[in-house]
Amino acid sequence: MKKTVDVALPVGPMHPCWKEPVRLKCEMKGEHVLACEVELGYAKKGIERIMRGRPWQEVMFLAERICGICTVIHNYVFIETVEEISEITVPERAEYLRVIVNELDRIQSHLLANFSYCYTIEHETLGMYLLSIRETALDQLELITGARITCAYMIPGGVRFDLSGEDAITLQEGLSAIETETMRYRGMFETGPMIGLRSKGVGILTTEDAKIVGAVGPTGRASNVPFDVRSGHPVYQRLGFEPVVYDTCDNWGRIMARFDEVLQSCALIRTCLLKMKPGSIRGGGAIKGGEAVHSGEAPRGELRYYLKTDEHGRVIDISIRTPSIPNIEASGHYMIPGVSSAADVTSSFISCDPCVSCCER
Amino acid sequence: MSLLQKIKNTVRSRSIHVCYVNTGSCNGCDIEILACLGPRYDLEQYGIYVHNNPREADVLLVTGPICQQWDDKLKSIWDKMPEPKVAVAIGNCPISGCLYDREGSYVNPPASKYIPIAAEIPGCPPCPREIIGAILSLAPEIFRDYEEKNK
Amino acid sequence: MTYSILLYLKEVLRPESIRLFFCAKTAPLILPKHFRNFPETTGRECTNCLACMMICPSDTAIEVLKIKGEWTPVIHKGHCVRCGFCVEACPENVLDCGRVLDLQRRDRISFYSEFFITIDPTLCKRCGNCSVACPVNKEIDPTLAGSGTPVSDEVIMKIIDGEMRVIHPEKCTGCSTCELTCANNAIRVARVVQAMQVPEELT
Repeated sequence: MKKTVDVALPVGPMHPCWKEPVRLKCEMKGEHVLACEVELGYAKKGIERIMRGRPWQEVMFLAERICGICTVIHNYVFIETVEEISEITVPERAEYLRVIVNELDRIQSHLLANFSYCYTIEHETLGMYLLSIRETALDQLELITGARITCAYMIPGGVRFDLSGEDAITLQEGLSAIETETMRYRGMFETGPMIGLRSKGVGILTTEDAKIVGAVGPTGRASNVPFDVRSGHPVYQRLGFEPVVYDTCDNWGRIMARFDEVLQSCALIRTCLLKMKPGSIRGGGAIKGGEAVHSGEAPRGELRYYLKTDEHGRVIDISIRTPSIPNIEASGHYMIPGVSSAADVTSSFISCDPCVSCCER
Repeated sequence: MSLLQKIKNTVRSRSIHVCYVNTGSCNGCDIEILACLGPRYDLEQYGIYVHNNPREADVLLVTGPICQQWDDKLKSIWDKMPEPKVAVAIGNCPISGCLYDREGSYVNPPASKYIPIAAEIPGCPPCPREIIGAILSLAPEIFRDYEEKNK
Repeated sequence: MTYSILLYLKEVLRPESIRLFFCAKTAPLILPKHFRNFPETTGRECTNCLACMMICPSDTAIEVLKIKGEWTPVIHKGHCVRCGFCVEACPENVLDCGRVLDLQRRDRISFYSEFFITIDPTLCKRCGNCSVACPVNKEIDPTLAGSGTPVSDEVIMKIIDGEMRVIHPEKCTGCSTCELTCANNAIRVARVVQAMQVPEELT
C-alpha cells in the first residue's frame, strides 16, 4: 500500500553539521516529521576481520583507530580484556595514571560533542568558546603521553611512561582553567533564552523507550536511566564515583549531563593526583590463551569487547559492541519522529552524540 | 605574464573556499581540521573559509581510506567542482590506507586512483600546526598561473 | 528581547573579553619538544638486528637498508603511525622521537621479545620451501639454498625422516619469511612481546 506524504527529505551523507557520512531519510507532512530511516554503510572498513591472527602490539593500534574521538577507551578496554585472560595484575600507580588519561579524553570528547550541538542550533560563539578550552585539555594529554589523539599509552601490565612532578603541577593548573571556564559556559547554556527555546522539549526520549532500545551514556542518563559501567570498576569505586542523572528527557538534559560530567572528571583527576604514591609503572606478565568479555564506559556509553586468543596471544576471534549502535537507533527512530520543525532534525540527531565510524567498524 | 594573470594570482592565493569529504575515516583527521578552525589556530584569518558545498569550492580536502561506497561518488563530487580546482589529501589514509590496507578489508586506497591529488600531508593524524604550516606554504603556489599551465 | 541584549552586553564588556579583543595573538606554529614526531636517526651504529621491523605495527612503515655501505633504518612517512615502539625496542638507541629515549632512561623500561614457530601437521606438504627460504639457515649453511639439502645440524629447521622438524627454535629472529613462503599457511611465527621495567631496588 503506497503511503502519500508531503515531502521526503534526504539529509546527508555530506552535510555541514556532520563530520561523518550518514544519510537520514525523513518523511514529512508540512514541517512535522512523521518517520525517519537511517542509512549507514559509508564508513565500513572491516576492522574486526583484519585483527584476526595478530598479536596484541598490532591489534592495540587497530582498536585505537576504530574511532578518533574516543581512542583512549578502546585502548583501555582491549588491554583490560587481555589482562583478564592472562591474569596479569597492574601496579597501583599505573592504575591511577590510566584513570587520569581516560578522564582527560572524556573531557575533550564531551566538549567536542557540545560544540557540535551548539553549531547545529547556530550558536557559533558558544561553540568556539568550548573549542578553545578543549585545547587546554589536549595540551595536558600531549604532555603526559606525547600525542594529542591516538595516544597508545596503555600496554598489558601497566602504562608506557611515568608522570613527573613538574608535569603534575602543569596538569593541576590546566584543570583549574578548565573548571572555571566550564562553569561559566554551563551557566550560559542553562539560562540562555534562545538556547532554551530551541532545546527544551525537543527530541523527547521517554524513560520506557530508553529502556526498550537500550540507550546508554549521557543519552540514557538524561532520560532517568541511572546506568554507568564505572560504578562497578574497582579503581573508580575507590575514588567514590556517582553517576550524573537528569530527568528532562530532551536535548537540553543531554547537553547539561555532559557539562556536569566534565566537572566530575576534573574532580576525579584531582583525587587521583592526591592518592598516587611513587612506585613501578609496568608489572610484566606473559600473555596466555583463553576468552573473556569485558566492558568499560566510553564518553558515549558502554563499550564491550569479546576476545578469544590462542596460546601465544594471537587473536582468534574478536567482537566489539560500541555505544553508538543503540544510540543512533534511539535517535533515528524515537527522537526525530515527532519534532515539529525540519531544522530540529539535525540538532536532535547530534544531541545523542553519534559516532558513525564506531557504529560501522 | 599579463596584468590580468597577476591580479588573478594575488586574489586566488588570499581567498580560498574549501570543501571536505570524509570517505570513511576514523574521524581523527577531521577532528584536527576542526581544531584548526578553533580560536587558537585560527584558519579563517588567512582567508580560508571551510564550508561543505562542492559547487562553490576551490580546494577539496580528502580524508579516509576510500571505502567501497565511495569508489564512484568521489569522482562525481570532483566533477561538480568548477575550475580552477585542486585536491589535497590529509592524513595517512588517502596516501596508503594506513593500518587498514590488509587482505580481507573493504578499502581501496590510494585516493590518487580516482582523482588527481596535488599535495599530501602525512601523519596519523597530523597536528593542526602541521596542517596550517602545509596550507600556508601551498596557498601562493597552488593556483599560480593556472590558466597557462592547463592550456 | 531586552533581556537578550543585556546578557550580550554583560558578556562583551568583561575585562577579559576586551583584553582579548584588542590584543589577540595566534599560537606559534612550532612543535613542542615532547611531541612524538616521525623517528629520526641519532648517528649511532645500526647492527641490522631488525628488532624495529619486528615490533612495528604497520607492515610497510620501516625498512633497514644498506646505504653507502652502512645499515640505516628508513621510515616511510605515508605509512608510519608515530607510535614510538621502534625507538623503545632498538638495543643500540639508533632512533629517537620526542622524549621517548629520555623517558626510557629515566623510567628504566624496555620491551622483551620472543619468537615461537608452530607447524600444523595436517596442512604441511613437507616440501621444505620454508627451510630453504629462511635467511638464518642461509647464513649457517650456504649449501642449503643451492642444492636444497642441508649438510649441518645447526639450522633452525629441516626435513628429518619425511617430517619438517624445528631443531633450534632459539635462533629464530622473527622475520616470518617462512610464513610468507609457505603455500598452505602451515608454518606460523608468533611474535610475543612483554613490556618490562627494572625495579628501583635493583639499580
